[in-house]
Amino acid sequence: MILTNVSTVPGKTIVEHFGIVQGSTVRAKHVGRDLMAGLKNLVGGELKGYTELLQDAREEATQRMAEQAQQFGANAVVNIRFATSSVAQGAAELFAYGTAVRVE
Amino acid sequence: MDLLLDNLDLVMFLVLVCLGYTAGSWAEKKHYRSIEAREKELLSLAVVTAEGSFPKNNVAQAVLVTGSAVVSIDYFKRLLAILRNIFGGRVKSYESLVDRARREAILRMKTAAQEQGAGMIVNLRLETAAIGRNANQKKQIGSVEAIAYGTAIRFNRV
Amino acid sequence: MKFTPKQLSGNVNVSRTHPLVELFWLLAGIVMLGGLFIFALGFTTDWAARKAPLSIEKWIGRQTLKQFPGEDNPALSQRLQALLTTASSEERLQRYPFRILVLDRDDVNALALPGGTIVIFSGLLDEITSENELMMVIGHELGHFAQRDHLRGLGRGLGIAIATTMIFGQDSGFSDLVAKAVLPIQAGYSQQQERAADRFALDLLARHYGHCGGATDFFVRHATTSGPQIAYLLASHPHPQARIDDLNRIIASKHYALLAPQPLGEDLRHRQSDPPASPTH
Repeated sequence: MILTNVSTVPGKTIVEHFGIVQGSTVRAKHVGRDLMAGLKNLVGGELKGYTELLQDAREEATQRMAEQAQQFGANAVVNIRFATSSVAQGAAELFAYGTAVRVE
Repeated sequence: MDLLLDNLDLVMFLVLVCLGYTAGSWAEKKHYRSIEAREKELLSLAVVTAEGSFPKNNVAQAVLVTGSAVVSIDYFKRLLAILRNIFGGRVKSYESLVDRARREAILRMKTAAQEQGAGMIVNLRLETAAIGRNANQKKQIGSVEAIAYGTAIRFNRV
Repeated sequence: MKFTPKQLSGNVNVSRTHPLVELFWLLAGIVMLGGLFIFALGFTTDWAARKAPLSIEKWIGRQTLKQFPGEDNPALSQRLQALLTTASSEERLQRYPFRILVLDRDDVNALALPGGTIVIFSGLLDEITSENELMMVIGHELGHFAQRDHLRGLGRGLGIAIATTMIFGQDSGFSDLVAKAVLPIQAGYSQQQERAADRFALDLLARHYGHCGGATDFFVRHATTSGPQIAYLLASHPHPQARIDDLNRIIASKHYALLAPQPLGEDLRHRQSDPPASPTH
């Protein structure tokens, strides 16, 4: 599966469109990470736990989107966009969407 | 001593502010040094916000690359932000927070692209989101996440 | 297109102001705003306390009186009336229908409630040794009425609480912090009122008896047991020793005579046979 966020796949030609595909996931961190983040909130700096969590979640959202594209019989998703929103205390929704296409 | 114990929360607050200031500014300086060093290293990898068009036989591979970082603000700067809320105006203490997060995210994306052997990243997109905040509660933003993503292009060897 | 790599120098997205400098300006601004606010609040509550109709005050008085269910005491009422006769020239006292109640509590304290009610705790009554001392206590509470302190203090406390809640939210730790920061100002203001009430009582005593004997007796008894003066920095009342010094200064400047105080009348003396309660205040 080829994923790009440009409207084409550079080096290939799009031969067929299948419409939009999307993948999303809502993740919460466990208490230990929460505790560390609370501590980090005092002194500032990167919250590694959160970064990893969101990175994992984003990969999962992308994976889910790719699965949808596969169902359509696509071999590439173009024009991918990401979005993040916090839906509750400590939980975040990661969202990916794009256009499923077949390229040659 | 009694006076100190009676105002324990006040003392705690002052300790946290001092701790936040020293630890926070030390961490920020360190982070900026690291960011600048890595930016210099990755300078030759071009990143553009345009889509670009490439001759078909020139491109070997196009891959989506992402980079993200969640950076938290320290206690002292949060205090500054709360005070600034009263008067309005530029919240200077949050400027470096988002700046650091965004530059770090771009650097991580560039590193990922370099590992793929990419010669260029096109269509860079940046997003920022507030993390660790209850959606229905009016609470101060503790930390921001910056995401950078784009399409890494690996060119054919000529 | 040719790509020329460029490294940025400096950072336009981040302000150069040192965070401590910003903190200083913000704090200075807040102190100024707060000062202005407290000044305005004091001004308006003082104005409102002067203008508030007696009916409102009586209503507030009835609400607070429920917390202090005291009993009427004929012996004390008689002395209150005697003092009021002496103070008949005080215009500001004329509007109140005064009452004096005794509340059975060990605390050494007396209160001036809105609406003209004076509450004396039995703990205070038990340790009083002379007529003059008792008159000083009643005179002090009358002083609060004459200055309308009971309303002014109420308005200030309320105004500050409302303002901090509006700015920082109800149970943010910040509101408590501001309350703490304002405490010295409030305490200073309250102590100033207490001193003024003391002076009022002293003048009344001098007019009633022709001398000021026994005026400081109550404070003298408590001066040694009240701990260091520094602990009274944030208290609502000045340290007893400070009050003694203040009273003595006025006695000296106004050339008040100091004669032996009259012993407590028979109608109140039966209380003294009980062992006096240890002072808690």
